[in-house]
Amino acid sequence: MTAALPATSLPAASTRPRTVVQPVTFGRLVVAEWVKLRSLRSTWWTLASTLGLFVLLAANRTAGMASIADHMPDDFLVMPVYATSGVVIAQFVLCGLAVAVITGEYRSGQIRATLTAAPTRLPALWAKLAVVVGVVLVTGTIGTLLGWATSAFWFDALGQSIDLTDPEHARLMLGVPLYLAAMAALAFGIGAAIRSTAAGITAMFGLVFIIEPAFSYIPIEPLQKLAAYLPTAAGSRLVTSDTVGSFISGTQSTTLGPWAGFGVLLAWVAVTLVVAAVLLRRRDA
Amino acid sequence: MIEAIGLTKRYGDKTVVDAMTFTVQPGRVTGFLGPNGAGKSTTMRMVVGLDRPTAGSVTVNGKPYAQHRAPLGEVGVLLEAKAVHPGRSAREHLLAQASTHGIGRRRVEEVIELTGLGPAARKRAGKFSLGMGQRLGVAVALLGDPHTLILDEPVNGLDPEGVLWVRTLLRGLAAEGRTVFLSSHLMSEMALTADHLVVIGRGRVVADAPVADVIALAGTPAVRVRTPDARRLAALLTREPGVELASTAPDVLEVTGITTAQVAQVAATAGVPLHELTLTQVSLEDAYLQLTGDSVEYRSTAADATTRPVAGAHR
Repeated sequence: MTAALPATSLPAASTRPRTVVQPVTFGRLVVAEWVKLRSLRSTWWTLASTLGLFVLLAANRTAGMASIADHMPDDFLVMPVYATSGVVIAQFVLCGLAVAVITGEYRSGQIRATLTAAPTRLPALWAKLAVVVGVVLVTGTIGTLLGWATSAFWFDALGQSIDLTDPEHARLMLGVPLYLAAMAALAFGIGAAIRSTAAGITAMFGLVFIIEPAFSYIPIEPLQKLAAYLPTAAGSRLVTSDTVGSFISGTQSTTLGPWAGFGVLLAWVAVTLVVAAVLLRRRDA
Repeated sequence: MIEAIGLTKRYGDKTVVDAMTFTVQPGRVTGFLGPNGAGKSTTMRMVVGLDRPTAGSVTVNGKPYAQHRAPLGEVGVLLEAKAVHPGRSAREHLLAQASTHGIGRRRVEEVIELTGLGPAARKRAGKFSLGMGQRLGVAVALLGDPHTLILDEPVNGLDPEGVLWVRTLLRGLAAEGRTVFLSSHLMSEMALTADHLVVIGRGRVVADAPVADVIALAGTPAVRVRTPDARRLAALLTREPGVELASTAPDVLEVTGITTAQVAQVAATAGVPLHELTLTQVSLEDAYLQLTGDSVEYRSTAADATTRPVAGAHR
C-alpha cells in the first residue's frame, strides 16, 4: 500500500515539482503559432505597411474622383470602391506574409521544432492557417475602416457617402477582409506545398499577374469563359462593383455572381490546402 | 527507452540506414558513434518522426513518437544547432514551444537559467554564436522535463566550459534514471560521457556494447620499451610464454602478453638499460577506427590512390 508510506521516505528528487506538461491540443497549437507570428518584427512591419496602403490609396482615389466628379455619372461614384482601393496592393503584401509564414519555417529549420512538438503534423498546419487567416481578417477590417475614415474627407465635396444598409456597399466593405483572408489562405497553401519562399511567392504572384491575365487576354471564347473561374478573377467578384468594375482583375466578366465567385475562390483554397496537407503528411521534414 | 527494430531508410537506391536494430536503455548515457554519412542524424530524425522509415519501426517509451499525446514530455530532442527562425528571440522560441504543451512561463525561465542563456534570451537567434545556438537547443530539449533525451552533436561549437557543462548535465540526467542518447564525432568526449556505445558504419550497427568492451574489441594493451639494446632484450622476451613482439623503431619494442613489471624484471636481470617503459592503452579512437575502417563513406585520397579504375573500365 503506497498510501501507507510516510512522505519522508520518498526520494529527494521527487520533492522537486515536476514540470506540468499537458497534451497537445489544437487550441494550444494556435496559441503557439500566435506567439511565433507576433515575435517576428517583420510581421508588424508588414501589417503596418498594409494599413498605410489602405490609407494612401483611399486618399489618392477618392481625391482623384473628387477632382473629376463633375464629369462622372453618379453610377460611377460608388464610394466603397475608392475607400477600399488599397486592397489591390494590400493583397500582395498579405499574400507575401502568408507564404513567408510557412516557407520561413523550412528555410530556418524552425519546422523541425514545430513538427517535433506536433508530430501528427496536420494540426500544426491548420493552427498556423487559423492564425494567418485571423490576422488577415483583422488587418483587412482595420484597413477597410481606415480607408473609409480617410476617404470621408472628400465625401462632402462629392456629395456621396458609404451606407452599410445599401446591400452593394455592405458587400464591398465586408468583402474586402473576406477576400484578403481567402487569398492569404491560398498563398499559405501554395507556400506549404512548395516550401521555398522565393518559389512560393513567384508561384502566387505568377498566378495573379501572368497566368490569369494570359487566359483572359487570349481571344478564344472558351478560354475567356474559363478565366472567370480562376482564383483571383472569381474571388474578386466579391469586392467588385457591378458599375465601376474591378481594380483587381482585368476582366469585366459577370459570369459569376459576387458570392458564387467567392465560393469558387474558396474551392481553389480548399484544393490547394488538401494538396499541402497530403504533401506535409507524406514528405520528410 | 528507445527501441529500433530493422530500421531502414532508403533515398532512391541509396540505403542510408540499413536494418538497424538497437535498444537505448534508461539510466545510462548511450553514445551513437559513426563516421560522417553513416546515418546517425537520419536515424535520430526517424526516432522523432521527422523522417519516415522505408522499413522497420522505432518506438520511444513503448510507442511511436507521434502517438504520444504530449511528446515533449516524453522526449527532448536537439537535432541541429539552429531549428529557430533567425528573427525570433530565444525566449519567444521557448515560449512558443512551451505553449504547444501548456508548459508555463516559469519553466521557460527555468531552462533559460539552467542553460546559461539569461543574458542572451532577448537577443534574436540569428545573431547567436554556434555555442549559444547549442545552449538554446539544449534548453528546448529540456523544456518538457522529458524521460528521454536525443541529442545530435550537442557539444559541437561549445567552449571547454560548455562541454564540461553538457557532460555533467547528461550524466546527471542519466543518473536520475532517464534515457540519454547522444551522437558525437568527438571520441575523447564520448569516452568521458558515455557508458554504452552504439557504433554504426554505412548504415549498419557494427557494435552495441559498454564503452570498455568496445575498447577491448580493438585488442589488448601493449608494453612499449625503448632501449639501446633492443635486439638482446627481444631475444630474452621471446623466451617468455605467450609474448608477442613488434618493433616500430630500431630502439623501440611493442610487447603484448606481458606486464611492465615482468619486462623490467627481465631487463634488470640481464642488465639491459631501459630508457622508456610504458603501458600503451588502446584508445576508443583506435577501437572506433578499427570497427568502422571499412565503412567510411569519404576516405582521404591517399587511401584511395591504390584503387584507381583500370583502363579497361572505360567504355
